Amino acid sequence: MKTREWVLMVAFAVLLPLVLASGAWAERGVTDTEIRIGQYGPQTGPAALWGAVARGTGCYFDMINAEGGIHGRKITYFLRDDGYMAPRTKAICKELVESKEVFAMASGVGTSPGMAVKKYLHKKKVPWVGPATGSTHWAYPPTKYLFAVYPLYIDEAAMLVNYAVKNLGKKRIAFFYQNDDYGREGLAGAEYALGKLGMKLVAKVSVEVLDTDLSSHCMKLKKAKPDCVLMWLLPKQGAIILTTAAKMGFKPLWMTSSTLSDTPIMYKITRGLYKDVIFASFGEGPNSQHPLMKKYRAAHDRFAPKDRWGVFFYAGFIFVEPMVEGLRRCGRDLTADNFVKAMESIKDFQGIGPKITYGPNRRQGARSMFLAKCGDKGTFIRLSDWLTSDVDLKEVLKRLGR
Amino acid sequence: MFLQLIMSGLSFGSLYALIALAMVIIYKTSEVPNFGQGEMAMISTFVAYTLLVTYQYSYAVSFVGALLFAAVLGVFLEFVFLRRAKDPNVLSLILITLGFEMVLYGLASWKWGADQRDLPFPVSDFDTVSLGPAVVSYLNIATLLITLVLMFFLFLFFKYTKVGIAMKATQQNAMAARINGIRTNRILSITWAMSSLIGAVAGILLAPIATLDPNLMLDPLLKGFSSAVLGGMTTLVGAALGGYILGIIENLFGGYVSLEFKSIVAFGIIVLVLCFKPSGLFARHYVRKV
Repeated sequence: MKTREWVLMVAFAVLLPLVLASGAWAERGVTDTEIRIGQYGPQTGPAALWGAVARGTGCYFDMINAEGGIHGRKITYFLRDDGYMAPRTKAICKELVESKEVFAMASGVGTSPGMAVKKYLHKKKVPWVGPATGSTHWAYPPTKYLFAVYPLYIDEAAMLVNYAVKNLGKKRIAFFYQNDDYGREGLAGAEYALGKLGMKLVAKVSVEVLDTDLSSHCMKLKKAKPDCVLMWLLPKQGAIILTTAAKMGFKPLWMTSSTLSDTPIMYKITRGLYKDVIFASFGEGPNSQHPLMKKYRAAHDRFAPKDRWGVFFYAGFIFVEPMVEGLRRCGRDLTADNFVKAMESIKDFQGIGPKITYGPNRRQGARSMFLAKCGDKGTFIRLSDWLTSDVDLKEVLKRLGR
Repeated sequence: MFLQLIMSGLSFGSLYALIALAMVIIYKTSEVPNFGQGEMAMISTFVAYTLLVTYQYSYAVSFVGALLFAAVLGVFLEFVFLRRAKDPNVLSLILITLGFEMVLYGLASWKWGADQRDLPFPVSDFDTVSLGPAVVSYLNIATLLITLVLMFFLFLFFKYTKVGIAMKATQQNAMAARINGIRTNRILSITWAMSSLIGAVAGILLAPIATLDPNLMLDPLLKGFSSAVLGGMTTLVGAALGGYILGIIENLFGGYVSLEFKSIVAFGIIVLVLCFKPSGLFARHYVRKV
């Protein structure tokens, strides 16, 4: 009896470390035939308009799988609805990492949902590519496993200001923004660019996310007599302010961020007032004849015909193109650390979005965008080539108190 | 500037007033603030949109259809959920209305999705009239007029019709009303129908300005509720006045004091009113007898 117990104990002691260590042999979420990738995105709730990003990514992965996958592995994609609520985002990421065992996270809409899981994903060494917001929180300071794709709101605002002043000769610029990180980073970019030109904003007016009556905001803007107003808002408030301004006979040139670049919708809900609004864009227009765009449109028709072919749908392609490129470069020997090395080797990679470059200490992939405007019936008219930002981020971040 | 702020305040104030009225009508019969009110109005507005845009019916058919839907929805919710509650106390009924809010919101997100939509409206929000230095759109004027007319009819209804008087009786003492032959259950149904209908009017008037999506009533509902608290949850006239006052105060505050804190004013007002005159500005102080 005693000997048998001893044998069992010894066997247990020998086997236990082996069992525990087996996790380290196989990389989480990677098998011979599949790579597991997850994404959270609002399919319901106030930001559901942007939920199309996550569905676009799914369509893109379907296309990649139909082409045979990456180095013989197919992508298994997990999409979860977080309703734009950070606590839910947290639960989702925990589920995806610990129970679905994903290898990496793709994109993900929203600054606050993303901020809620940033630390957790880093701790778990989950590679994460292309959060779908232009906040500076992803890449400044850089962290090992997180790669940002979306160009910065700061850069966008600076480009718009430069274009308004240098190309269009505007002299009085005002800024109308949502009172949060998104709005304040845009504001900081605009103030920086104007400062370089020796000018100042004639007015800066903020708005709370839930406000529907924007008449007093509009009057404040109007009083400053700007000839150009940059707005950093949600689509709904963008529509309300344009209508309110038209009513009050206030007709400056309106400019806005890429978050309001879904021109067909904006044109429709403003009943045509969106015509001639200038905005920055992070990717080709919906009707672009770029060869990749043709290919992606075909994928959309095949895998997601029910979804509208809008900018936020194919943004789901743009934000993960670099990830797929990284997976290709990494080869069969796919681990989180090898993937990071592969990503760091990406230089001037371009799909339908801006040029992407990463490096050992560089995690912001894109600093360029192009400008476009809304034409008749909500068409997308390209105004410029890809422009690269020359904003000194250190200085702007310092002003933002970061 | 001052006049413009007042005019804008009045036009949004009338929407708040409508929502406040809708809430007060229900509150008076059952002492329950109906937090599902906003989403009920939002769903009804979506019905108007579907009839109008998807099925291409005329304005008259679509709007009347949506209002009928609203009334039926009100009756349905009251009959199917609230009436079934066992030993209802106010708190559990409030929770049921919060449940409506979530179910209806989810339903709308699922059925119509999150894209912003434009609800066509026969009166333009772009064509304006100048009143001295201020401009108001035809839609603003229409909103104001429709609200006033609706309030006038409500007043007549409660004062002179049998159903209206029966409603008042039920509100004051349900037991006595029942003893006197009033079918209080039916009265409750009618109350919910009316309230839902008034809410729907607010939704349909708001959607052309604020664009239509499932979040249409999030902010307006809170403001309508604040208006009702401000004016008094037990008085129709008070609640309506509360709406106008809140609309104007909000705009003046935004125009002259601080835009950052504009949206908080409403809640500041609730706190102040609850501290100093808990029954509301225009309600007689109401003491419950044991």
